[in-house]
Amino acid sequence: MTLFDVVFAGNDAVFGMTEKAIDDAIAANGADKAVALPDTAYSLPCYYAVTGTKVGNLGEMKAALGVVKTLMTREKRLNDVFMSGVATALCAEFIETLKYMDGAKPYEAPCYGHLADAVIRELGVPLVTGDIPGVAVILGAAPTAQEGVDLVKSYQAQGILVTLVGGIIDQCEELGYKTGANVRVIPLGKDVTSVIHVVSVAIRAALIFGNIQPGDAAGLMKYTMERVPAFVNAFAPLNEVIVACGAGAIALGFPVITNDQPTVDAVNGRVPKSLIVQEDISKFNATSLEARDIKIKITNIDIPVAFASAFEGEIIRRGDMQVEFDGSRVDCFELVQTKEASEIEDHKIEVIGPDIDTFEVGSKHSIGYVVEVAGKSMQTDFESVFERKFHSYLNCVEGLMHTGQRDMIRIRISKDTFNAGFRAKHIGEVLYAKVKNEFAAVVDKCQVKVYTDAEKCTELRHNLAIPVFDKRDERLTSMTDESVDVYYSCIMCQAFSPSHVCVVTPERLGLCGAVSWLDAKATNELDPQGPCQIITKEKVIDERIGEYEDVNEAVRKFSQGALEDVSLYSIIEKPMTSCGCFECICGIEPLSNGVCIANREYAGMTPIGMTFSELASMTGGGVQTPGFMGHGKHFIASKKFMKAEGGVARIVWMPKELKETVAERLNETAKELYGIENFTDMIGDETVAEDPETLLAFLEEKGHPALTMEPMM
Amino acid sequence: MGDFKLTTIEENEAITNRLLETGAKVGADSWQLRVKNQTPHCKFGEQGVCCRICSMGPCRITPKAPRGICGCDAHGIVGRNFLRFTAGGCAAHSDHGREIAHTLYQAKPEGPYKVKDPEKLIRIAKEWNIETEGKDIYDLAHEVAYVALGEYGKIEGYQNFTSRAPEHTRELWKKAEITPRAVDREIATAMHMTHMGNTSKPEALVRQSFRTGLSDGWGGSMTGTEFSDVLFGTPTPIETEANLGVMVAENVNIVVHGHDPSLSELICEYADDPEMIAYAKSKGAKGITVSGVCCTSNEVAMRRGIPMAGNFLQQENVVLTGACEAIVVDVQCIFPALGPLSKCFHTKFVTTSPICQMPDSDFVRFDAATAGENAKAIVKMAIDNFENRNPDLVYIPDTKQKATVGYSLEAIVKTLDGVTNSQVDETGTTKPLLQCITSGVIRGAVAMVGCNNPKIRPDYLHVELMKKMIANDIVIIASGCSAQAAAKAGLMDKAAKDLCGAGLKRVCELADIPPVLHMGSCVDISRMLMLAAELSKDSGLNISQLPVVGCAPEWMSEKAVSIGNYVVATGLDTFLGVDPYVSGSDQMCELLTNGVRDWVEAAYTVEKDLDKLGDLMIERIEEKRAALGI
Repeated sequence: MTLFDVVFAGNDAVFGMTEKAIDDAIAANGADKAVALPDTAYSLPCYYAVTGTKVGNLGEMKAALGVVKTLMTREKRLNDVFMSGVATALCAEFIETLKYMDGAKPYEAPCYGHLADAVIRELGVPLVTGDIPGVAVILGAAPTAQEGVDLVKSYQAQGILVTLVGGIIDQCEELGYKTGANVRVIPLGKDVTSVIHVVSVAIRAALIFGNIQPGDAAGLMKYTMERVPAFVNAFAPLNEVIVACGAGAIALGFPVITNDQPTVDAVNGRVPKSLIVQEDISKFNATSLEARDIKIKITNIDIPVAFASAFEGEIIRRGDMQVEFDGSRVDCFELVQTKEASEIEDHKIEVIGPDIDTFEVGSKHSIGYVVEVAGKSMQTDFESVFERKFHSYLNCVEGLMHTGQRDMIRIRISKDTFNAGFRAKHIGEVLYAKVKNEFAAVVDKCQVKVYTDAEKCTELRHNLAIPVFDKRDERLTSMTDESVDVYYSCIMCQAFSPSHVCVVTPERLGLCGAVSWLDAKATNELDPQGPCQIITKEKVIDERIGEYEDVNEAVRKFSQGALEDVSLYSIIEKPMTSCGCFECICGIEPLSNGVCIANREYAGMTPIGMTFSELASMTGGGVQTPGFMGHGKHFIASKKFMKAEGGVARIVWMPKELKETVAERLNETAKELYGIENFTDMIGDETVAEDPETLLAFLEEKGHPALTMEPMM
Repeated sequence: MGDFKLTTIEENEAITNRLLETGAKVGADSWQLRVKNQTPHCKFGEQGVCCRICSMGPCRITPKAPRGICGCDAHGIVGRNFLRFTAGGCAAHSDHGREIAHTLYQAKPEGPYKVKDPEKLIRIAKEWNIETEGKDIYDLAHEVAYVALGEYGKIEGYQNFTSRAPEHTRELWKKAEITPRAVDREIATAMHMTHMGNTSKPEALVRQSFRTGLSDGWGGSMTGTEFSDVLFGTPTPIETEANLGVMVAENVNIVVHGHDPSLSELICEYADDPEMIAYAKSKGAKGITVSGVCCTSNEVAMRRGIPMAGNFLQQENVVLTGACEAIVVDVQCIFPALGPLSKCFHTKFVTTSPICQMPDSDFVRFDAATAGENAKAIVKMAIDNFENRNPDLVYIPDTKQKATVGYSLEAIVKTLDGVTNSQVDETGTTKPLLQCITSGVIRGAVAMVGCNNPKIRPDYLHVELMKKMIANDIVIIASGCSAQAAAKAGLMDKAAKDLCGAGLKRVCELADIPPVLHMGSCVDISRMLMLAAELSKDSGLNISQLPVVGCAPEWMSEKAVSIGNYVVATGLDTFLGVDPYVSGSDQMCELLTNGVRDWVEAAYTVEKDLDKLGDLMIERIEEKRAALGI
């Protein structure tokens, strides 16, 4: 059998299985029976992306299967093999969708099955920044459980997102290896068809970030090949079905690395950069990264445990905890300070106070650390930029959990990590290495002081840290769009969303929420040719909506002509585009003459009649969609939020949790702009209404200002 | 990328028609007119049954007169003509190779000819068992060149380069008694065998045709290729442009034409010289543009990125632009028509080789010793001629295409290294290409070569066949005027991957190559032989088992027949779009299209219909795949 014949046979087998499953389902439930995957605005995402058609019930699924059949041509050409691979994937999606009928929950821990749109949007930023340098799909069982787990661990340590299908899941369980989305090891399911759930992620990434139109199969495959750094590791034995699925993966540009011979002939089965036979499991990692051209950024940090972005979401429970530092109970703080070069001895790490091994297991303590930096191009404005990264740096340490910022931090260190030899000075090592590495352009010298002495922490918190924070806040509040001479463009997302450009101003941070004006400024200084470029704002066109000739020129240039003009302050007229990885989406709610905002974490319904995922799917991919706008959470309280349409007074609804997060600052803004006290009390949430009529009644009762404002449309 | 579009045959024809209007204005002749005057062609000549080898004739064979005066039948006459045709081609290619070897023999550290690829020189020396240790590279160059020159008249033994062929191929040659001896000897034997009163047996004539061809492919041509690389550098992928639009109206335009790169290399060098550019500016031009026609163009394009103005049947168009200050020619495929044509314009027609002397030309006798001065004088002559241009006659079409050229065997292997995985693969082999072929991602390869021929709309078969092949996941390696046809159409632009089937497209993307690979000039078909030999060695298959075929759809010169013979004799089925004057003998036809398969495991196919020709090649490739079970 040639490789092509194997793919065709596998495709035929899966098709037969699918046809039977659909026919059986129709026989049992009727053709009108609804089918859907949960938490996605993209119907059956793979089928929808490939064909442009949504499938809502069994009858439509049966018709869709007919379309899939047309892909299964049998000429001896790679196109036929690719399309048969795609057809196999689409069949798998149908089979998996059937499992979700009647709101069933077919997957239980540790398996995830279908992944929600929100998960993909969350992955956007780390994929763009390279924090997640790749996505591994491991399929089947390794020769031994230890080899399987070692492979998973090797990817995890590089920050690669690992998804598991089949026997490898049991192998992880067998050895008690921790899995879960928070450590970036996601078991999908044990049937081979569950591999579709990661394919679905790649495909939705193209729809969400890449503005690929559903039905544009060629554009879709180009996008995944060029921009989604995924690859497959398939363990022997490979059967026809797996090889057919592999053809689908290769069609999308994802190489398959296996320890099996796909066909009998020694040369026959191999295809350079696409289908690679590697008999040594310990070399799967290196072989895969090379095949997909994934480069791992290596920072050598002298600590006794692993350091990788995969550990960022790791949670340490009280029982696993060796020691805790808790800024909400005792005095803690973290701080960056600019010094003269003569005051700093590079790479000096000082621990002032007792070390961790003198603390009782499970006890709570004070901690403070000051990272002192010096450099010719260093500016005090960058201090907060570095400081905000500490959260992510420290969280990357295996067995260390960090939350909060400034003097409201909490750090937990796990027993395992302590037992591996982790001590207070290692916090200094991590901060030193990361600051020196990532900010090399402005930091020439760096030293770290770690305080564990409780009295010293109290003293420094109040006399050193808090005055600095206050001064910074003062500067930040005085910093408005009018008070600066330049804005910055940010195209960090263009690896994923090729025509999107953010214009970052002091009062309007990047819509991902991760890039403030100061961040952009620092990024520009660090890498003048990099993703953030200076935009002048000298030629104003329309003050009201915030339109500038210089801004338009920049947007045109950086979007390669895809975008003509944007306004900074309107969501109706030339609104700014989104990439897809925004924290929040707001959309017009016509009945109440206002806007509803939903954040990514909110899974419920909004009065607009759409969930976050559905709202989010209206925009993104660098396309202007009047009436919808993606943005960061912090932008909600900005005086420039929808300034052209009347400002924050237009906000009529937000999920409760989001409302609570932004309440303090939003209330302040509303008071300053309109003289309204406790404005957030007037804003509806899911406990008040999930439909426009009930919301309107609530708003009328509260006398919400939006009701009396000029009509938006 | 998004605006990539092939240049169509119709667009090229419209340009030619526009240029012919200029020609009509100045009373110029053209090949299009001459074809009309020569039509219909002599039927006896076309069938190959006219014999004028002795003065008893000429004799021509008809049903009523089935034998010549000496008694030779149609088979003998066709066979003799075929062998003489081959000998002519072999002589041309091989003498070109000899010139190059001679140039190497005169190379000096201070120039004008230097050793640019000493590594290759050392490799060849080792292959030929010449001691390299501790030797000055120029001493070695002279020694190797001396041996190479000796290959033309060696007293005993076979062509040195035949040791590069796979063992099985050499066995076949030995058995068929066609292993090539000294090049000059094979040509002389051919002439002798075809003399009045010698061989009239088709089989013997075809055997000698093959042996003569092999002495070209594995002898003279390979010498030309390899020592051109030693002297001027082994080509690596480089960006250039193709079609008449590469000429620049504001600049002094020098067009190099012919086959031997020795002169054109130096012309390119002097045209780049700041002193010369300043001189051109002083004469009112903005700069100097060198572009090329035919295989000289291929040579300088793949080593220097010099743009390609056009291929064989475009040579007159270059002059018809009215913006050509000088067309400088060396040897082979030069229309004598350029002389009278250049007189209708200000163009200087500069002949340079004693091998190619023509009326109405300025003859600057080119010599390795005085090459620098010669080249400089020619560039200066062109610049001085700029002011004589008649602006009313200037028309340069803006049509041109981007092309990535320069895929020598070494460059192909290096490109393939780029898609290996260092964890599992070895580098420096053709194995990645073999993996693509055996897995079915690529179905096979076609070596597209050869000229233009007025019997076929210029470039039509080249381009249409290539389009058909790449759409069927068959990769093209091209050389000579076929390569230029591809470049002019846009098939050597990497964006042409979008015209491929999914398999070849993916390969183009991963390896970052265009689907049609430019392997060089017509002597560089020897590179294709080396590639076939490497594929055979790396796969353990015989050359004839590889799903690879050769094709010369628009061929016209004697060289092409010599090439065809060595390609078939090397084990590659070869498809022709023009009959090689053999239709007058069914025995010869049967031998060439079938009988020779018993000797060399390959044969000719002649098919004039485009679709059938394409289908036949695909069919043959799929047959070979099926036989291998892949």
